Amino acid sequence: MQMIVIFIAGIVLMYLDMSFTGFSPVMMFGVEVYFVPKLLFMYILLLTIYAGPRISMFFAVLFGIMLDVYIGSLYGIHIFGFIAFVIFMQTAFRVFYRDFVAMAFVVLLNTFLFDLYQYAVYSVLDLISMPIFDYVALRAVPSVMINALFFVVLYVLAVQTAKVRKEFRRTN
Amino acid sequence: MRVTKFFNRNRMLIVLFGIVVLIALIGFSLTDRDSTTKAEQFTGDSVAVTQKAVNAPFGFIGNIFSDIIGSFSALEENEKLKEQLDMLPQLQADNERLAEENESLRESLDVSSNMDYETINASVISRSPDQWLDSFTIDKGEKDGIEEGMAVSTSEGLIGIVTRVNGNSSFIEMISTNASQNNMSVEVRHDGEAVYGNIRNFDTENNALVVENIKSQVKLETGDEVYTSGLTGAFPEGIVIGTVVEVENDEYGLSQNAHVQMNSDLNDVDTVFVLKRDPESLED
Repeated sequence: MQMIVIFIAGIVLMYLDMSFTGFSPVMMFGVEVYFVPKLLFMYILLLTIYAGPRISMFFAVLFGIMLDVYIGSLYGIHIFGFIAFVIFMQTAFRVFYRDFVAMAFVVLLNTFLFDLYQYAVYSVLDLISMPIFDYVALRAVPSVMINALFFVVLYVLAVQTAKVRKEFRRTN
Repeated sequence: MRVTKFFNRNRMLIVLFGIVVLIALIGFSLTDRDSTTKAEQFTGDSVAVTQKAVNAPFGFIGNIFSDIIGSFSALEENEKLKEQLDMLPQLQADNERLAEENESLRESLDVSSNMDYETINASVISRSPDQWLDSFTIDKGEKDGIEEGMAVSTSEGLIGIVTRVNGNSSFIEMISTNASQNNMSVEVRHDGEAVYGNIRNFDTENNALVVENIKSQVKLETGDEVYTSGLTGAFPEGIVIGTVVEVENDEYGLSQNAHVQMNSDLNDVDTVFVLKRDPESLED
């Protein structure tokens, strides 16, 4: 039951991520500003804490493969990133205290690092040419801001979907 | 708990192994392949189906809103279109006459034109969410006759190349992605004279394609039109790409480089045409 709910939530979030490309990049004062939401990624990270690493790892692999084959020019970049950051998230929460602020900080830091990792891989392969300063000012900072906005909604969603199993068990 | 312990002990090993697999996969995806494997097709298609299912309610609501907004300006637009329509019969007649004349002339020469192509209309179902490499997925695939390497254009001009074909969907890379061009050959027309060059890369700062290796004999000017040359893969000839906005000599002064502004809007792609070149012209 929980798996199905999480799967549907994941698909919808993936769709929202994709439909966001309709608005972004936004032209502001003659420069293109990129807002890159990473709803699915943040959701999987939050599941690590609230639904357990096993479930979150399963969805990291599933959505990683889906994204790679569906929209990826380079295979492996999503699946590897998802799995690596789920492991990272687990490690991070041995250090941090589990409250809302710490959670928000770590998840947003992870979205930033995930984008940085993609930027690094694509630049090394010479697929994109964006100077590092432009990247930080026009892409990284606005993206973190937009992700911070969506984080609150996702936090509620992750907590709710993680509860599904418990309620289901209680009824049995 | 067993899972967490497992990660603890072997985390380093897993990450290292993962990096090796990642590099192998990157190598695999950068090689030039001319067919899509069944596993890729299956995954791609099943995601496309779920995507379409999620898309349906959103699209429905979106349509209602755009219908309401559209109805306000409909009257004015109708008027304008009617004016344009008046000219249409004459243009159509001219077009038919010229096509016939062209056909008969070609028959007497016994050549097949690589300008002939059929179009397959398709609509974009999703864009790449990470917004790094401009790529998108369309709702037509193998069953509609799409093959790898075909040109994709909007009504304004060339936009991309089909890189993977699934049963009912295909994956398109835009020509603004540095991975997709592979030194694509283009033709620049200046005062009725055609010179050839190839696309080097896409300059993200100026939003222009850089075309290099253009002969210096013909001095290009800004405003010259750029077309596909029909020398690359399954691309038909004469598909408009854009206009020259800047010309410079290359570092040795032997040839010219041109910066080309693309006609089609890269950020707003909705419906596209896949261009299927006349197979007769591909045989030689």
